[in-house]
Amino acid sequence: MIALPPIGFVGLSGALLAVGIFGILTRRNFVLLLISIEVAMNAAILDFVYFAAYAPGTANGLSGQSIAVVLVGFAATEVAVGLAIVLALYRVKGTINVAEATDLKL
Amino acid sequence: MTILTGLFGVAFLVPLLSVAAFAIVGLAGGRLARLEWGGWVAVALAGAAMVLGVLIGVGEMLSPGKYTDVRYTWFHLAPAPGAFPNGFSLVVGTLVDPLSALMLIVVTVVGFLVMLYSIGYMHQDRGLPRYYAELSLFLASMTGLVLADNLLEFFLFWELVGVCSYFLIGFYYEKPSAASAAKEAFLVTRVGDVMFLLGVFLFFAHYATTGPAGGWAANGFVFANGTAPYLPVASAGHSTLLTVAGLMILGGAAGKSAQFPLHVWLPDAMEGPTTVSALIHAATMVAAGVYLLAVTSVFLGFTPIDQLAIVAVGGFTAFFAATMAVVHPDIKRVIAYSTISQLGYMVLAVGAGFTMVGLYHLFTHAFFKALLFLAAGSVIHAVGTQNLFKMGGLRKPMRLTAAAFAIGGLSLAGIPPFAGFWSKDDILASVYSTLGSHPEYWPFFLLAFAAVFLTAYYIFRAWFLAFSGEHPRDPAIAHAHEGPWVMQVPLVVLSAFAVAAGLFVYIPGFAGLLVHGTNIPPHLSVTDLALSGASVGLGALGILLAWQLWGNGRVYVLAADSSLQSIRSVLLNRYYMKIAYDWVGSRAVYSVARAADFVDRYVIDGTIRGFERAFAGASDRLRRVQSGVVSDYAAYFVGGMIVVFALLLIVAPYLLARFGGG
Repeated sequence: MIALPPIGFVGLSGALLAVGIFGILTRRNFVLLLISIEVAMNAAILDFVYFAAYAPGTANGLSGQSIAVVLVGFAATEVAVGLAIVLALYRVKGTINVAEATDLKL
Repeated sequence: MTILTGLFGVAFLVPLLSVAAFAIVGLAGGRLARLEWGGWVAVALAGAAMVLGVLIGVGEMLSPGKYTDVRYTWFHLAPAPGAFPNGFSLVVGTLVDPLSALMLIVVTVVGFLVMLYSIGYMHQDRGLPRYYAELSLFLASMTGLVLADNLLEFFLFWELVGVCSYFLIGFYYEKPSAASAAKEAFLVTRVGDVMFLLGVFLFFAHYATTGPAGGWAANGFVFANGTAPYLPVASAGHSTLLTVAGLMILGGAAGKSAQFPLHVWLPDAMEGPTTVSALIHAATMVAAGVYLLAVTSVFLGFTPIDQLAIVAVGGFTAFFAATMAVVHPDIKRVIAYSTISQLGYMVLAVGAGFTMVGLYHLFTHAFFKALLFLAAGSVIHAVGTQNLFKMGGLRKPMRLTAAAFAIGGLSLAGIPPFAGFWSKDDILASVYSTLGSHPEYWPFFLLAFAAVFLTAYYIFRAWFLAFSGEHPRDPAIAHAHEGPWVMQVPLVVLSAFAVAAGLFVYIPGFAGLLVHGTNIPPHLSVTDLALSGASVGLGALGILLAWQLWGNGRVYVLAADSSLQSIRSVLLNRYYMKIAYDWVGSRAVYSVARAADFVDRYVIDGTIRGFERAFAGASDRLRRVQSGVVSDYAAYFVGGMIVVFALLLIVAPYLLARFGGG
């Protein structure tokens, strides 16, 4: 039903993942870090959706789409927790720079 | 008589009595203040040991040539494949035979007398419990050594007397010279001890499986087998192994008996109390070396090359040590050199094959040399110095001591009828009788013969310097007086021995002890009488010269430009041998030690420290990986992920293609 070639979709989700990881590795701002994580995660969700549509008619097709929905819920939850941590960090440290939040190391 | 021989079975009590004294005084000495800090306890137990020891000695005299071996097998290892076919045993036990009986009398009698004398001599010293405990331990070890029935047990007690000697030389350990003398004695005798142990191994290598009853391995190095010597003496043979073993034994004996070239420690050992010098470094322990040679020659045998070496060492030392005694200003050291010289005579006799003649001289020497030391101790106790040139005129306030020293001196000089004459004359006559078949003994016989003159001279030089004249040369010691009775009694008893011990040979039983199983010296032939006359003449000449130079309080001063000055300086410096040994120690040995230290410090420790540093550095770097920054962790995570993918997608397919095959 959708006629996008597989290589395009896999390339798209790979590019999203690369952008997300680049953001995770380079951003020092906690909020931007969270956004980068969302981008990387959406690459995975996109894969689920695409592969479910790519092989329709099999029982797996539906399960891929439902997992994508669940993952969207997870991502929302994760952002809620992450933003709560950002607020708590800001209260304690007065900054949301992750390079300064190193108190948990041994 | 049967009662006495019955005592042979309990001979082990002799050392045990002294062990008891050691334990009591050592543990409770501090609380025995009323008994002179345990001195009387030690004296009483030494007295008991003496009674037992002398009774055993007399018992042996009454049953000449009897061997009584009381043995207890300490442990026995069953034969294992490829090991000794009859198993391996270690035994402990006591052996009463003519040799040990004679030594037992000497050790216990002199030990008791010195112990008694100590009560007076050591009266003002601190550390008395230590002194009596160590002296008792020494007596225990020495009697144990004498009674040992196998070579290993002998070696054990040999080391024990060595360590007691070390303790007692260093008795005044707060004095640096005493501490260093103790160390020196220990180290020098250790050279001999190592050789002795090598000798034991070599003899064991030869007799381990050959010999009666399955050889030494099964019988624990024993000397005697039941009632007879373990090996027939003639079995020694001429093998190179036995020759080397005998030379090693000679080395051990030379260390203990202070024979050239291991003699350097004995004069320095005079740093200990004079009583210790009398007992350990004159009468008993230093004689252990001679006793070792005697035991070896009776039970194991020496080869002709060994004998020549022993004769050479003994004869040379007899003369060599006497020369150093001639010039020394210290009364104790003069007697110490004299001891070395006299031990040389004994070694000479044993080497020439006259074991019992050597032991006979050991017997008489123990008494007159202990007498000389105790008399010297009496003088030192009275005047507080050992320098002969400060003394003088002491015969007036100290008549007994002067007489005792004179008797000891006459005995040492070999003037008849004193004890030393008989035994020294026996040695000279015995060795002379072998010269026909062993012309190579000539030079050593002549050296020993010449030493007679020096002996007489140096001992009477000491006597005249100390006792003749009107008053002491040092006014500070004008008020000398005799010691208490406990010091006088041993002098009297030992004087009696020094006069009469030579006549003991006319006691039938005693003669039986001496002639057993050994060559008998020729007696009362014309050459023997001429030889005696010559040696007595030499001795008298020496005394005369001493009187000429030092008599009546004269002090003979050698002219400063005299050609003899250089000789005197060589003698006073002990032929520079001590300096040479120190040089060897400080340069040769020290540089080896430095090299070893370098290897230890930089090569071995360096390797270990290198590893340690490498790991510490690596872990320090690795520690920094944990920065606490989330982004860093994410980076590691991503890196790891890339590695995993690389493995899965590149390495794994490659490996499968390369090795998968099937």
